[in-house]
Amino acid sequence: MLVRAAQRGDMVAFEELVLRHRDKIFARALSMVRNEEEAVDLSQEAWVKGWQRLPQFLGESSFGTWMTRIVINLCLDHLRRQKRQRMESIEAINEESGGVERQMPVVTVNPTAGLERSELRERINYALGQLSYEHRTVLVLHEFEQMEYKEIAKTMGCSIGTVMSRLFYARRKMAGLLAGLRKEGLR
Amino acid sequence: MMDYDSQLRLQACLDGELEAREAAEFEAWLTKDPEAQALLEELKMTRGVLAGFEAGVKLPESPEFFWSKIRREIEREPRHAAESRGASLFAGWRRWLAPAAGAVAAGMVALLLLAPSKKQGPEVETSLADAGAFTYYDFAARTTLVWLSYPAEEELAANEEGDTLE
Repeated sequence: MLVRAAQRGDMVAFEELVLRHRDKIFARALSMVRNEEEAVDLSQEAWVKGWQRLPQFLGESSFGTWMTRIVINLCLDHLRRQKRQRMESIEAINEESGGVERQMPVVTVNPTAGLERSELRERINYALGQLSYEHRTVLVLHEFEQMEYKEIAKTMGCSIGTVMSRLFYARRKMAGLLAGLRKEGLR
Repeated sequence: MMDYDSQLRLQACLDGELEAREAAEFEAWLTKDPEAQALLEELKMTRGVLAGFEAGVKLPESPEFFWSKIRREIEREPRHAAESRGASLFAGWRRWLAPAAGAVAAGMVALLLLAPSKKQGPEVETSLADAGAFTYYDFAARTTLVWLSYPAEEELAANEEGDTLE
C-alpha cells in the first residue's frame, strides 16, 4: 500500500518507507564503502534515485531488496571511481598471481567464540576493512545480500570463476585476520 | 594438499551452487578427506561469524534530519523531470543533428571546390562578350586552346539543312 501510494506521488508514504528501511540501506552502504560519512551520502542518494525510479518498480522483488540493489550499484560506482584514483591493491595482485589463499593454514578454532557482540562487530569491521573492495564486495553480496554466484558476476561485471576465487580468498583472509586478532588480543 | 579446483568446488558445495548429483558425489568424497573437512569447517565458521553483522547498524542521523535532506533533493529534481531526462536528451541530440549534418555537408562541398585550385589543373573560360568562344588552358602541358563555335558550325548546319531540303 505504501509503495503504491508513493508511486502515485504520495511523499508522506515515501517518507514512511524511508523510515522503515533507512538502517538497512545505510548498513549495506557502510559494509561496502567502510566510511560512515560516505555511506550516509550514498544511502541518501539511493533514496532520491529510488523516488525517481519508483514508477518503474514492478514489485518483482520486495521494496527493500529493490532499494538495496540501488544502493549497491551506487556504492560499486563510487568504489570504482575511487579505485581509478589510486594504485592496484596488493590483494588484487595476489589474486592475479595465483592467490595466497591456497597456502593459508586452516583456522580450526572459532576466533570469535565468547566475544561480546560489540567486540565481535569491531573485529569483523576491522577485518572487512583489510580486504580490497573487490573481495569485500563479493563477500557482502554473497553473505549479506544472499546473491548467487551468477548474480554477483553480473553485478560486478566479471566471470563466475572470478567470483568464486574472490569469495574464497575473502573468506580465508577473514578467517586468518580474525584468528590473528584473537592471538594478539589487541583489538 | 587439496588442489585449487577442489577447494573452489568445496566452497560451491557449501554455497549450494553444485548440481544435486555433483554435490552428493562431492560430499561422499569429503568424508574421506580430513583436510577438506577442516577447510569446510573454516568456511562455515566465517559464514557464521558474518551472519547478522549488519543487523544492529543504525543510521547515525536523526530520521527527521535524514528525511529533510532527501526531501530537499527530491523537490529540487522532481520525478517527472528525471523521467523525461532521457527523452529530452534524445530530443536535444536530434535538435542538434540537422544543423551539424548541414555544416558537415557544407564543409565537404567547400573542400571539393577548393581542392582542384591547389593543384593548378586545367581551366575553361568563356567570354561574356562572345558566348560562342571557349578558351582552354592546361597549365601542366602549357597549352592554350581557343574554340570558336561559329560561324563554321552555323554554316555547316545551314549546309546540312540545305542538303536535307534538297
